[in-house]
Amino acid sequence: MKILLPLVLPVSALAACQGQESPSTESDGSTTAAFQSTYTPQPSTDVLLRNAKIIDGVSNEIREGDVLISGGKIGFVGTGEIPDGIEEMDVKGRFVTPGIIDIHSHLGNYPSPGVRAHGDGNEATSPITSEVFAEHGVWPQDPGFDEALQGGITTLHILPGSANLFGGRGVTLRNTSSHTVQGMKFPNAPYTLKMACGENPKRVYGSKGGPASRMGNVAGYRKNWIKAASYKAKRDKGGDYDRDLQLETLADVLDGKILIQMHCYRADEMVQILDLAKEFDYKVTTFHHAVEAYKIGPELAASDTCAAMWADWGAFKMESFDYINENIPFVHAAGACAMIHSDDANNVQRLNQEVAKAWSDGNRAGLDISKAEAWKWLSTNPAKALGILEETGTLEAGKRADIIVWDGDPFSTLGRPSTVMLDGAILFDKNTGLKPKSDFRLGYADLTEGPK
Amino acid sequence: MRTLLLTSALICAAPAAFAQTLFLDNATVVDARGAQTQADVIVTDGVISRQGTDLTAPSNAATINNAWVTPGLFAPMSSLGLTDIGSSGPGNDVSSEDSSTNVAEHAADSFNPRSVHIANIRQNGVTHALVAPRSSGNSIFAGTGAIVSLTGEFDSVLNPEAFVMVDLGETGTIRAGGSRAASMAQLRAAIEDADGFFKRYANAPDGGDVLSRQDALAFNRATRGDIPLVIRVNRAADIMRLIEIKGKAKSLDMIIVGAAEAWDVAEAIAAADIRVIVDPLHNLPDTFETAGARLDNVIFLEKAGVDFAISNLTALGVTKPATLNQHAGNAIVEGLSWSDAFTAISSVPSAWFGVTDKTVIVWDGDPLEITSAPISMSINGESQSMTSRQKALRDRYNPKNTDKRPYKYR
Repeated sequence: MKILLPLVLPVSALAACQGQESPSTESDGSTTAAFQSTYTPQPSTDVLLRNAKIIDGVSNEIREGDVLISGGKIGFVGTGEIPDGIEEMDVKGRFVTPGIIDIHSHLGNYPSPGVRAHGDGNEATSPITSEVFAEHGVWPQDPGFDEALQGGITTLHILPGSANLFGGRGVTLRNTSSHTVQGMKFPNAPYTLKMACGENPKRVYGSKGGPASRMGNVAGYRKNWIKAASYKAKRDKGGDYDRDLQLETLADVLDGKILIQMHCYRADEMVQILDLAKEFDYKVTTFHHAVEAYKIGPELAASDTCAAMWADWGAFKMESFDYINENIPFVHAAGACAMIHSDDANNVQRLNQEVAKAWSDGNRAGLDISKAEAWKWLSTNPAKALGILEETGTLEAGKRADIIVWDGDPFSTLGRPSTVMLDGAILFDKNTGLKPKSDFRLGYADLTEGPK
Repeated sequence: MRTLLLTSALICAAPAAFAQTLFLDNATVVDARGAQTQADVIVTDGVISRQGTDLTAPSNAATINNAWVTPGLFAPMSSLGLTDIGSSGPGNDVSSEDSSTNVAEHAADSFNPRSVHIANIRQNGVTHALVAPRSSGNSIFAGTGAIVSLTGEFDSVLNPEAFVMVDLGETGTIRAGGSRAASMAQLRAAIEDADGFFKRYANAPDGGDVLSRQDALAFNRATRGDIPLVIRVNRAADIMRLIEIKGKAKSLDMIIVGAAEAWDVAEAIAAADIRVIVDPLHNLPDTFETAGARLDNVIFLEKAGVDFAISNLTALGVTKPATLNQHAGNAIVEGLSWSDAFTAISSVPSAWFGVTDKTVIVWDGDPLEITSAPISMSINGESQSMTSRQKALRDRYNPKNTDKRPYKYR
């Protein structure tokens, strides 16, 4: 290994290295044996970012400090022992933050161009499709991945759509150049299960055998959790049982191996879902969209349930009519795990601006949230809700060096990422013009030449 | 009776709630051309009462530092007041799938000034909007659009017949039967129907090629050049076809919307004197006709001397144009000047449609910063309410709210 390790490298960093070299086969036995991650970081150089304004994602803002990047990992943040002869990058006065994580993306499964042939995000053939995997519908050539990277997105979670009660498994991806989805899969990140509340399932299936109402939605969840519990009992006993992909996903949820990511808008429905989870003894990790989460902040905090929200989207259907711009800060102020999400190929490119809007509106309403606290909505809390906080989401020694160096303030319209690193490798650099370009972009007008 | 009394008391109390005098210490004052000057300003009930250097704060005034004072924002493309929620159904008047009319339909007839979204959007400093319908059925013609102010009053439609709206590009091809050739044929034939109205329809109500008598009559105002023809189009080649059409029908006053590939033909657009409404955040090839979409599209337009306005042209941005300042601010990142960015969401589109209302917005910071918001507003000297349904929900559920009564009683 030609890269010099810092003198004191935390144990956790070494553990993470080992995990990366030999993809794990532990978590859900037979189910993860297929489609293993083949992600390998791009080559990186050890570097010391000097004199940075650091927002670390843990709650701290360091006015001036250094960040050591070594072997693709974070060596230290603030101050620490500087290896001899290390390359330095002076970022005096510039913000350095963790890479942004979007927990709700359809990049790749609803890619650009959005032709019908590309619509691979909703297996809208039955309300119960827990057997499908988002990764089997992800087109790695979606130009949206490249634009998202330039907005600072280093990790993103691709979910099936919300047509179904049980939509299928979501997948966590590294935003890297790969011609396969396996090459993007975040090593050892847990699978998730997309579920959906409310209007979508009843609209899609209302004239196709149901559910046709919210009553039918809940009955549909319960019937299938009952089946899953009995499948799990058989599986736990060992011996002979017929493998069932649909129930396997649900049983893995009951075993705590798969995290529930649930599309739900209304406050009353979210609380019903929390009761459903109690009935069948599983955990809802995150409510997505959660437009009325601000009405049930204390309930979310008490059940340790996260909410992934927009800054200012709403009223595009009845269940989003009560949108307010203070949703994220109010949920945060209630002590619950709040975060931004995009659900959109444009919005994902400026999630820092979305957070800045929510943050300023929250403070205008009388809260007193610092930038360093609000930053958690961009990387820390999404990492927690995806089960990858041990590896990324904050600037802490031993974690993957997923880092953004900014031009300007990330809480300003004018602040934009100028350098984006994944595992310490620079994948976007505004000054040198380094940026990824999907195969799809080839042969079209050269977009690099500026106006005269 | 009790309820009635309570309601009227609230209505009477409402103006008092925002009656206020503000002393803006060293504010940035922006004029209609986007030029900035520093001044002390006294604002009473949303209206500037004094402006100068080294003014003294009136005794009853709240002092605010670093405020900005600007004209109101103009949303250049919206469906405000046409819909309560986005889904289809009786609450949505944006398009009329099963009607037999098109240009003769006035969005102004559907416009509801009491829609809660008017007050919601006004909180973002938006005082005026273009209100456009969408095409449906088999016509590329969406209807006749309006210009409105966001006072929420019944006289807020400033011009009910402000422009004719057309969808070309991929939407237009679907309407016209499946190809660009069909949509362009429909447009050319409609221009001839309207131009030759008296000849074609005088003795034959069905005398037109594609337009009914009432639609041709309505379209005639645009073909004469009395009102603009506003066209949604993105592909550079489609824009070139429109330039050809304008070359023949010289009286047409065209505004194109979307124009994702306008940068590729910016000089031709300028030469044809066509105006453009552009979304500076559009950079993805979300359809094949926007394969050339790029963030600095607007910079090409500015360099070529095209007259342009900035809007959020996503579906949500059109139904609820709350983020105009964010979109304009991002154009600065691409190299647009502050004043060009600001006027592209205010005086430029406002002048296109002859809006002369006097508007004042006091902001708590640079209006093109995402973290800024209006503190007070007035339109033609009338103070505008700084409350809305969104703010009422905010106040009811604010974690700082110490009211312990059940939420329905707060």
